[in-house]
Amino acid sequence: MFSIDILLNAIVTGILLGSVYASLALGLAITFGILHIPNIAHPTLVVAGAFFVYTLAQWGLDPIVAAVIGLVPFYVLGLALYLFYSRVFERRGGANVLQSLTLFFGLSLVVEILLVLSFGSELKSVNVSYIGSSLKFGALTVPYRLLIPALLGPVMIAAVWLYLSRTNSGTAIRAVAHEERALSIAGLDPAAVKRHAFGIATATAVVAGAALIMIGPVEPFGGRFQIGRVFAIVVLAGMGSIPGNLVIAIVIGVAEALVASYLNPSWSPGVAFAILLLGLAFRPQGLFGAAR
Amino acid sequence: MSEIVLSMKGVEKVFGAFRALGPLDLDLRAGERLGIIGPNGSGKTTLINCITGVYRPDRGSIHFQGRDISHIEAHRRARLGISRSFQIPRPFNGMTVLENLLVPLDYCHIDGSKEERARSVLTSVGLAGRISHPSESLSQLELRKLELARALVGDPKVLIADEAMAGLSEGEIDEVLAILLALNRSGVAVIMIEHIMHAVMRFSERIVCFETGRLIASGTSAEIAENPLVRRVYFGE
Repeated sequence: MFSIDILLNAIVTGILLGSVYASLALGLAITFGILHIPNIAHPTLVVAGAFFVYTLAQWGLDPIVAAVIGLVPFYVLGLALYLFYSRVFERRGGANVLQSLTLFFGLSLVVEILLVLSFGSELKSVNVSYIGSSLKFGALTVPYRLLIPALLGPVMIAAVWLYLSRTNSGTAIRAVAHEERALSIAGLDPAAVKRHAFGIATATAVVAGAALIMIGPVEPFGGRFQIGRVFAIVVLAGMGSIPGNLVIAIVIGVAEALVASYLNPSWSPGVAFAILLLGLAFRPQGLFGAAR
Repeated sequence: MSEIVLSMKGVEKVFGAFRALGPLDLDLRAGERLGIIGPNGSGKTTLINCITGVYRPDRGSIHFQGRDISHIEAHRRARLGISRSFQIPRPFNGMTVLENLLVPLDYCHIDGSKEERARSVLTSVGLAGRISHPSESLSQLELRKLELARALVGDPKVLIADEAMAGLSEGEIDEVLAILLALNRSGVAVIMIEHIMHAVMRFSERIVCFETGRLIASGTSAEIAENPLVRRVYFGE
């Protein structure tokens, strides 16, 4: 039976979930959407970020503080990953998509195995006093363990968007997506620009990981459940549109919550792809992408 | 006579069994206006790519201001002062006209504000009114001007204008020529690669002609116009 309370709760929960999805997809929006590198290992790196946060939380650190501490090591990890990728492929004349997918699929498996060896295959979670309770407005109940991670998403997305749009090095990252050769003739090293961008993308994984583990327990293979959803968000947003990434993630989050509330929770994983197919049928360049 | 700013000695570029360029000896003097002509496939673009660092020559050396640059990367050559515009404009789409110029200014050490420098260059090429427009909205002539502005903003010593006038009307050609001449008067050596013969003849102090990767003639506009080898290549005489 239809209930306005259920509808309201589903929409609010969907918006908050969508905001978290946007955090998860942000790194891929940079690597795949802007650099055109299909880094399917990104969700697994998010899980690695969650385990990094879990480790520091065991020492009593707040998950958000742990994520901030993780930005530098994850940025450096991103630099190393791109260096490896460029040595293997780009300096030998470029990679085809299949080769790149294979490389990042392999990386994803390696990271998962390393996580299992280091932490075991059990679910891990963090406990912080402020994420146990809920915010109540009449019939609307918003758990803090969802609200706080959801607020991390827009903050991180705004920071990255401001960086890309307001700084010279951010502008160079946007430029490398369009014209690599023109960028080198303009005096910038495209490889260095891409390496920096990949570092930023990987650094976002630790913040997204903090959001993930604050919402609920995480296990080493958890990234696999996110791959399809984050790719759908990046493609439907228009390959590299950072604000579009947030909007699409929220649309998918709300749609999933409505399907789970009114139809069947087990149908939710298919929602992102259904929206992707419908969206691309009307706008092949994505909803926020420029027509080519 | 002014000093040699760019010098190529025995430069060769081979793709498989095909010799695209050379062996080539060619010098460019500071502040010179050099025209390069030749039919399609004669090696002009390969030459530009060797100078700008897109290709590394298989043999020979390229010196810029006395420094061997034969094997350094394209972006480092640009920072030294070798700039180019592209035959097919390659704007950074998704950015405004001003942002297109801020990208190369990222590495430049200039006096004053970088934005002011970008605005000044855009004004000099006649794009002052289009500064905040997205580059996708520019006309063909405006795109050519943006290409030139982006090449100029880093204060180069040498500019290579690769068919900067292709597809433009006579009036538009005059506009681009005026920009290039003004730039040259400020001391920048300009290499013009062009199929529009009257434009390259008007502009160049010296013209070199290529055929199948080799330099077959060199001289003033009048000398080139009368050169029998050039006339054979262009008119089949």
